[in-house]
Amino acid sequence: MNLWKTVKRHYSLYLMLLPILVYFIIFTYYPLVRGFIISLQEFQMIGRGPFIGFQNYLEVLRDPQFIQVTINTFMISGGILIVGFVFPIIIALSLNEVMQSVFKRFTQTVIYLPHLFSWVIVGGIWIFILSPDGGLINEILTWFGKEESIHFLVREDYARPIMIASAIWKDAGYTCILYLAAIVSINPSLYEAADMDGAGILQKMRYVTLPQLVPTMKIVLLLNIMGILRIFDQVYVLSNSAIANEVDVFMTYTYEKGILQFQMGIASAAAFLVLLMTLLLTFVTRKLIRYDEGM
Amino acid sequence: MKQLTVIGSKVMRAGLLSMFLLIAGCQSSTSEEDVSEANSEKNREASEGETLNILTNVVGGKNSEEMDMFEKEVERLSGISVNMVKPPSDYDQKLLASISSGEQYDLVYLTKPQLDILVEQNALTDLTEAVNNSERLSDPSIIPEEEWDLVETENEKIYGVFNKLEGGTMPIVRQDWMEKLNLEQPETLEEFYQLFKAFSEQDPDGNGKDDTYGLSTAGLYDIQGFMSAEGVKARYTIDEDGNRTIPYATQAAVPVYEWFATLYEEGLLDPNFATNETGDMREMFLTDRAGMVTYWDAWVGLFNNTAEVEDKEHFEAKGMAGADGPNGKMLRRGDPSLWSIPVNAEHPDMAMEFLEFWHTEEGNILGTLGIKGHDYQVEDGEYELTETGREHSMDHGAPYPMNQQFENPVGSYAGAEEAQSVILDNNSTVETSTADWPEAEKIVENYALEAMMGEIPADEAVEQMQKELLQADLIDE
Repeated sequence: MNLWKTVKRHYSLYLMLLPILVYFIIFTYYPLVRGFIISLQEFQMIGRGPFIGFQNYLEVLRDPQFIQVTINTFMISGGILIVGFVFPIIIALSLNEVMQSVFKRFTQTVIYLPHLFSWVIVGGIWIFILSPDGGLINEILTWFGKEESIHFLVREDYARPIMIASAIWKDAGYTCILYLAAIVSINPSLYEAADMDGAGILQKMRYVTLPQLVPTMKIVLLLNIMGILRIFDQVYVLSNSAIANEVDVFMTYTYEKGILQFQMGIASAAAFLVLLMTLLLTFVTRKLIRYDEGM
Repeated sequence: MKQLTVIGSKVMRAGLLSMFLLIAGCQSSTSEEDVSEANSEKNREASEGETLNILTNVVGGKNSEEMDMFEKEVERLSGISVNMVKPPSDYDQKLLASISSGEQYDLVYLTKPQLDILVEQNALTDLTEAVNNSERLSDPSIIPEEEWDLVETENEKIYGVFNKLEGGTMPIVRQDWMEKLNLEQPETLEEFYQLFKAFSEQDPDGNGKDDTYGLSTAGLYDIQGFMSAEGVKARYTIDEDGNRTIPYATQAAVPVYEWFATLYEEGLLDPNFATNETGDMREMFLTDRAGMVTYWDAWVGLFNNTAEVEDKEHFEAKGMAGADGPNGKMLRRGDPSLWSIPVNAEHPDMAMEFLEFWHTEEGNILGTLGIKGHDYQVEDGEYELTETGREHSMDHGAPYPMNQQFENPVGSYAGAEEAQSVILDNNSTVETSTADWPEAEKIVENYALEAMMGEIPADEAVEQMQKELLQADLIDE
């Protein structure tokens, strides 16, 4: 009854919300429900397929390829999550200590730039850099006396580190800007107080800057956690048959089953399993970092 | 009353704001939606009049303006009003999404493996009777009977009509380099090795730099011409009892993998071959970096035409059969590209009329030369390509029509007909695929590439392939 009264009182605001609500229902929630229904069916392109319960889910969970992509996803995403979380903090703290504003801005722009490129461009750059035929890294190795080129992109031992490094190279600048913005908003009196107490640069970082960055870190961590199981573009661009076994992830599995093999029931089941895992990860992370406290 | 006025004013403001948000929301979705809106608009027009809706991949103009011109040209030549939707990319995805979502097309373009999947899903119309009743399509002097065997399904039904004559993949060599270095056409793997060695070491482009490779491929695409040395066929072979084998994953393929490992080790093979896309491979060939590539026969002519358009002084591409083996030469014939009528088509009869038109001389000229006045001119019965036509390389979706009575009035590009003959005369067969092939392909390619780069011994690679394929129930023996 109270709800109805609230709605009635603020009906003009709710009316304004209506288009957005309709948008989400049509483009997000309806496809979600439809996808779940497909995951319970034996997929047919024309007409409705028979319901087969959780058979598609069982088939996905029994598929050795799904187990392999689960390992790959957690290895690559874990790397991106850990290194991609720590690295921008180090850059942000270092940049914050740079007094020359021209150099600071230039560096910010340079490290942010890759975030603006699509993965097709980034993939092209990395393929060029790592090419055995005139690629930058191999040319440098040749200067240092290495005779044989290394074909980084087809070596299984380099495959996952390359995926992690390229993802961090692309997105570290963006996360770094978030931290820099947070650092700017730290109350200067805290630093003045630290100065009066005789704190050095490292002590100010340890006892003032880092504690003040915790809320931003929580947001960055949660956003990263929500996205890690959905990596696709970079694997699609940088993968090849020689390393597929090491770098295929949940989304490439879904793509192959759904688009290449037309097995939409299996693909939808796999997608829902990923969704469930993401929900679980997000929930656990929120609890662990006490996301709702001190924000 | 005053309260009512206030409420009315609030409602109006809210309504206006909602409309504004909706409009803003629509505008922010940019050009992709503009395109689909344009397509939807076309579909609406189609449903109002008698217009044939076609979902096409390669057939049509090269951009949206030319697509409109192409539609008008179809109508001018056949009297059939058509609405052609040509997705700029990801055609397979678009085809699947269109049929699954109930979008109505009268004709869809697809390949034989896609046709098999859609037939299994009961999504396509059985055309057997319609084809048999069609004077033109059932005429063996237009479409040879043996070609129909390639598209028949297991129950001997026809669900698709040819778009064009499908060629095959083959080794394509720089003939001008061979002549310059006085080299003979190779027949065995050893002779191919000597050829690549000469291309790599004797500076065939004469630029004084050690920058040429003997061979470039795009992964395993398509090494069939070399696998023929051991009588090994790509993809599946299925015996009478239904047992599945993948010959590339058998001991027979080991000597060829070892041969490739030697090429790789000695720098005769493009070191990027494992990560190359076909475009990279073509560029290597056209920019004097590789003496041989393995690609479609039609590209022999296209390579020569491109070189001519770019005024390259020395360039001649030539198609050749692969290495001799226990079964003679073995090349790959391409999967037939077809037109099919979905079961929910609104105008199936009209679609059949279009298919008959597509196999007439007018249809063939449209599929090759393109649009009159835009791609070509006719003066005193003589056909001449315009500059645009030359850029389009006589390819508007069917560069080599299936119609055996058709003769291209402009002629063909240098080397093209010869290359096609090599394909048709050298035991070129369509590969056998199953729904599981994409899964099996990953396992085969993974170990094959490792063996070809010498990362692991070839026999160990084959053992691993077999083990994993058997474990995943992708082969029977």
